[in-house]
Amino acid sequence: MSPERLGRLFWEYSDIFVHGLWITVQLSFLAMFFAMALGMLGCFGSLSRSRILRSPAILFVEFCRNTPILVQLVWVHFAWPEIVGIKFSAYTSAVIALALQSSGYLAEEFRAGIESIDRGQVEASQSLGMTYLRLMARIVVPQAVIRMIPGILNQFVTCFKSTSIVSIIAVPDLMYQANLVASATFLPMPVYTFIALIYFAMVLSISAGVRQVTKLLPNFGYFQHRRTE
Amino acid sequence: MSGEPVRLDSVHKRFGKLEVLRGIDVDVPSGATVAIIGPSGSGKSTLVRCVNHLEPIQGGAIHVGATKIDANGLWQDGRRLGAGDIARFRAHIGMVFQAFNLFPHLTVLGNLIEAPTGVLRMPRGEAVDRAIDLLAKVNLPEKVKAYPAQLSGGQQQRVAIVRALMMDPKIMLFDEPTSALDPELIGEVLKVIADLAIRGRTSIIVTHELAFAREIADRIVFMDGGKVIEEGKPADVLDRPQQERTRSFIGRIH
Ligand SMILES: Nc1ncnc2c1ncn2[C@@H]1O[C@H](COP(=O)(O)OP(=O)(O)O)[C@@H](O)[C@H]1O
Ligand SMILES: [Mg+2]
Repeated sequence: MSPERLGRLFWEYSDIFVHGLWITVQLSFLAMFFAMALGMLGCFGSLSRSRILRSPAILFVEFCRNTPILVQLVWVHFAWPEIVGIKFSAYTSAVIALALQSSGYLAEEFRAGIESIDRGQVEASQSLGMTYLRLMARIVVPQAVIRMIPGILNQFVTCFKSTSIVSIIAVPDLMYQANLVASATFLPMPVYTFIALIYFAMVLSISAGVRQVTKLLPNFGYFQHRRTE
Repeated sequence: MSGEPVRLDSVHKRFGKLEVLRGIDVDVPSGATVAIIGPSGSGKSTLVRCVNHLEPIQGGAIHVGATKIDANGLWQDGRRLGAGDIARFRAHIGMVFQAFNLFPHLTVLGNLIEAPTGVLRMPRGEAVDRAIDLLAKVNLPEKVKAYPAQLSGGQQQRVAIVRALMMDPKIMLFDEPTSALDPELIGEVLKVIADLAIRGRTSIIVTHELAFAREIADRIVFMDGGKVIEEGKPADVLDRPQQERTRSFIGRIH
């Protein structure tokens, strides 16, 4: 096939690809947004001293981390209607499944960040009369957040890649559009190659951004001064 | 103001099976300063950490002003304190750690006003004035906006002392406040403790600086193996120790 024909082909379907990519980006951000909220609940639940909070939180986190994303997706989309009694659109199911998957990893990321803060910080806070909630909010979490940023960004990359799976429940993401175009044009090789390159370029540039942020973090606020120690 | 009395009454403390405090009696009258000396691992840190209930005890009692700590928790007027009351109880007991434990994400000023404004609800302006006043007294007026990591160890520890003093504590606890410092920085911290921190307060100081202990303490307590081996006036304990273990410890440290 001549390069001109290929060029014309992709030009002709460019709207579809752009739309697919837009859905992919939307899914990534929405899923990460809810995953952060769920991850925070999972994190504080699993750190709690109360068993009634801790056990379900740990169970939730472990379930999310230890089931394949494909299984979660199908489970949410086809099993939840019977369990919860509500039928979600494919798009909503996709967001839920992706959020569940990421929330498990984020909860662990958050917990590791909080536990990495020196015990002396908690004791100094307690000795000044701070309650648990206050010392978490004012002293521990603000220090831990900066350490969590690389992990959160890496999870975003993982989540972005995972979105390609949602095409199997007919969410019109980039992968789904590629399937359509490939079968409409009978040209799977160039179409899928093109799509692979798009994912590759996207993930590569996000990852490069993540590395950059991670490198710049030590220049941020009090980290700036720690480096010289 | 002259502080509140602290009295430890046959205090027992265990970590699992390990008995770290084995029946400790120490009396610190209101306004007095008691120095605790003893070899590493003898339970000195654990003792001071029990006074503000960073560590619970398993036997005996600690009386801190009108509050009683025993194996079942904290008590005031026969009422058991909840988490909020325990936090309030701690707010008036200053603590200075060997490792400073300043908050690295806050400036010096942020470190100083965090608890007064957040815990005591002191107006911000008042807290800032107080912070600036105290920083001048410890010779750090120009460090208001610095971050802890920009300060020397001696400067950090002076800020940590001011952070405790911001709460106007009735009692001060020091756990080896100069042990993490280079020798040339120890003096400036000891001076702040002697001239500012313990004035008008009840103080318990764990230290290996025997000359300093002699100078500022009303009583010296020598601990070993979770027990008080010897206790008395500085001159008596340091110059005329009655117990062999005290003698050998003092001999080793000199
Ligand atoms: N959190 C803890 N868990 C278990 N053992 C501890 C803990 N803290 C201290 N200990 C033990 O208690 C003993 C006394 O420790 P510590 O009070 O720190 O002694 P000192 O301050 O006199 O060096 C030591 O044997 C130490 O290992
Ligand atoms: Mg110690």
